[in-house]
Amino acid sequence: MASQTATAEPAAGASRLSALTHPRVYVALILLSLLLIIPAVSDSPFIVHVFVTICVFAGLSTAWNIVGGYAGQLSLGHMIFYGIGAYTTALLIQHFGLSPWIGMWAGAALSAVVAVCIGFPCFRLRGPFFALATIAFLEVIRLLAIHFHGLTGGSAGLIVPLNIGWAWMIFQDKFNYLIIAFGLLLLTLVVSWVIRNARLGYYLTAVREREDAASAAGINPTKVKLKAVIVSAALTSLIGSFHAMYTTFLEPATMFSLATSIEIAMFALIGGLGTVLGPLLGTILVVPIAEAARGWLGASANGLHGFVYGTVLVLITLTLPGGLAGTFGAAVGRWVDRLPGGKPRPEPEAPALRQIAGTPGETVLETKDLVMRFGGLVATDNVSMVLKRGEILGIIGPNGAGKTTLFNQISGFLKPTSGSIAIVSGGRHTTPASADAFARAGIGRTFQIVQPFGKLTVIENIMIGAFMRHPDVASARAVALRVSTLVGLHHVREVEARNLPIGDLKRLEVARTLATEPDILLLDEVMAGQSQTDTHKMVELIRAVRATGVTVIAIEHNMQAIMSLSDRIIVIDSGKVIAEGDPQAVVRDRRVIEAYLGEDFADAQGL
Amino acid sequence: MDVLVQLLLNGIMLGSMYAIIAVGLTLIFGIVRVVNFAHGEFLMIGMYATYVLTTKLGWHPYVLTVPIILLLFCIGALVQRFIIEKLVNADEHIQIFATVGLSTALVNLALMIFGADLYSVPAAGTRQSVSLGGYTVLSGQLVILFCAVALVAGLHVFMQKTPLGRAIRATAQNRNAALLMGVRVDRIYIFSFGLGAACVGLASVLIVPLFPVTPNIGSYFVLTAFVVVVLGGMRSMYGAFAGAMIIGIVDSLSGYYIAPDLKEVVYFAIFILILIFKPTGLFGLGRGTE
Repeated sequence: MASQTATAEPAAGASRLSALTHPRVYVALILLSLLLIIPAVSDSPFIVHVFVTICVFAGLSTAWNIVGGYAGQLSLGHMIFYGIGAYTTALLIQHFGLSPWIGMWAGAALSAVVAVCIGFPCFRLRGPFFALATIAFLEVIRLLAIHFHGLTGGSAGLIVPLNIGWAWMIFQDKFNYLIIAFGLLLLTLVVSWVIRNARLGYYLTAVREREDAASAAGINPTKVKLKAVIVSAALTSLIGSFHAMYTTFLEPATMFSLATSIEIAMFALIGGLGTVLGPLLGTILVVPIAEAARGWLGASANGLHGFVYGTVLVLITLTLPGGLAGTFGAAVGRWVDRLPGGKPRPEPEAPALRQIAGTPGETVLETKDLVMRFGGLVATDNVSMVLKRGEILGIIGPNGAGKTTLFNQISGFLKPTSGSIAIVSGGRHTTPASADAFARAGIGRTFQIVQPFGKLTVIENIMIGAFMRHPDVASARAVALRVSTLVGLHHVREVEARNLPIGDLKRLEVARTLATEPDILLLDEVMAGQSQTDTHKMVELIRAVRATGVTVIAIEHNMQAIMSLSDRIIVIDSGKVIAEGDPQAVVRDRRVIEAYLGEDFADAQGL
Repeated sequence: MDVLVQLLLNGIMLGSMYAIIAVGLTLIFGIVRVVNFAHGEFLMIGMYATYVLTTKLGWHPYVLTVPIILLLFCIGALVQRFIIEKLVNADEHIQIFATVGLSTALVNLALMIFGADLYSVPAAGTRQSVSLGGYTVLSGQLVILFCAVALVAGLHVFMQKTPLGRAIRATAQNRNAALLMGVRVDRIYIFSFGLGAACVGLASVLIVPLFPVTPNIGSYFVLTAFVVVVLGGMRSMYGAFAGAMIIGIVDSLSGYYIAPDLKEVVYFAIFILILIFKPTGLFGLGRGTE
């Protein structure tokens, strides 16, 4: 094991360096350098201005995309951070003579704090309501900026002191601005690319697609979204600081403009939401049209650029909802991969399975008097049970008996109305505080109604689970590949989950949970909808998993399978445990037969 | 005391204006389940149309009520038929962007056609002071209050007593069940979107005599209308009506007692607090987190 890690690490380091020889990387860098080369060759101040504007808006849009695209939180108030960066930098110059190179970081820090204050309460809002809340915050901050005119100069505006030179970020030669704007764009793109290809990027996608399934994979949704919004706000703020030095004039109406906030978001959608290069593509496509119209037609073109933006946006939503990169990205990517250096790298070897400590037969989970009320309905009624390490416990009962509600409580998705749940480890009783903490404590669960991350491939779905114990992408991928082979999904590993049939989706539920390497595995009707052969395979799989030391609780309606599989059975009816024991004893229990088949049948059997 | 009563009265007058716009927004959200970010621009279209027709024909804006309502109904129905309907199964962010894009395009179209100038519409008899027991309001405002009440009452009767109203309510509650019962859901959506836009048509002829038209007039009103709709619980037009009155009064009181330029801060703060802590609205009639 030790020798394996030692050989794996230098290889990972080398692959990071060799990333530059990958065609996707060098093609992107060559195309990006055109943003500097074209204006340098043209030697026209107007062209330089257009390219500065492209770099600034592409940077803003790329930063927005980290929250709006990756995390799916549609902020229409992102100019808050731009404005904060601009005002902080300008005021620090005016009052303290502080260089914008320092002031911009102060602005970024302030923006990050504001982003947390806004994001934390708003993340529970969905779709349009999150968007509306961010608009409201933007309006409030804009109005406050006007009101406190002693500080900000109010509606009359604020002029940046004109000290020329690199130290003050103000130049006579416009090309210097372009160098800084390009540098900021490059920084933003690199951050966005790193996030997209790291665990955080996968986690953000998981949370965007299905928050519950993400929690079950040990992800704290609020925490990952806050990380995204902090990074995004800080980058937006840095660009805002620079742009204030470029325009040298600050007024609340443009610094905290709703129209510009919308433009930033629309560039990302036009180019491709949630892709690394999409926001840049969208900006390059529409900004030159607007700037050219402004340059050539002057004031008579008032409104033309906005009309073009709006129309393009509506057309994109109707015809290319994935945006340019989302629609054509994969094909272009494949074409670029044919260039020299585009060979796929060998798959790394999976790290060894986590060893489960503890002795078989000891208590691993204990519930006492669990009561769960939904209004007048008592879904679980004083359920007490003890789970022993290494056993397979079957839970059966008629529909609506409260089996899944019990699962939701012992995996942290529901807080019991009364009663207690404890994970026992080394003699210590602990109760994690949230669903994701339950997952990290070693309780892995599947969902009865499958919860795949539809837009991720099968292997990426499983990686979301694997990331919990293997933060590094290569190891997580290796673990996911091993699990995919184990559950029989290897042949569909590159298929998007939304295209799978129900049998495969059930196996994917199991795979994602297994990839978290749980101590206790909760399986909720994983055999429903499976063929006879698949059911056999599933039974074998569960036995194999148990053989590695995992404790299993399975809810199942397939009697034959659950009876052959379980060491012990608990029967639940109307929220109460009505029988418990080894499978043979349970099926002969009169109360069980009554619960399933009715009193008359029990009488007829002479029980 | 006298000041307070006058302020409350002003607030109710203002509130009735927001009510008409917000009821339309609520209809569209409650039935079609789309947040119409272009709602304010519908108002702007209505106001420019009224302005053009009044100056060209020399008619009083009130005379144009029926044609403007019909015009806005058609615009709403067309937007539903050719944009929203295509996006029924699209991701939520696509629906948001479609109406946001429409809004941006329309504001700027107006800017291209009419420029950024303010246009006022002369309308005889709408700006006369009317004395109510020692307090004064404008005659035009009284007409708005009357229309707001009549609109909610009329819609109530329509929704409760007519077969079409019943079909609309069924669709709003459960689209698929309504579909299975033979309701032409697509037509109901087109009609409802049109109806929501038509409310804005009514609002535009009433507002034109009191407020000058600009390309940005829509966002000025519609942001407030969103506050009202969230306050009222998103789905309920009675909630929207009550929410509008509350925001009107808050606007009027905070403008006087706090600072005129901070009154919007006050109701946006209320809006944020309601969204975060009571997403079902003040009266618990809807679900903001849905």
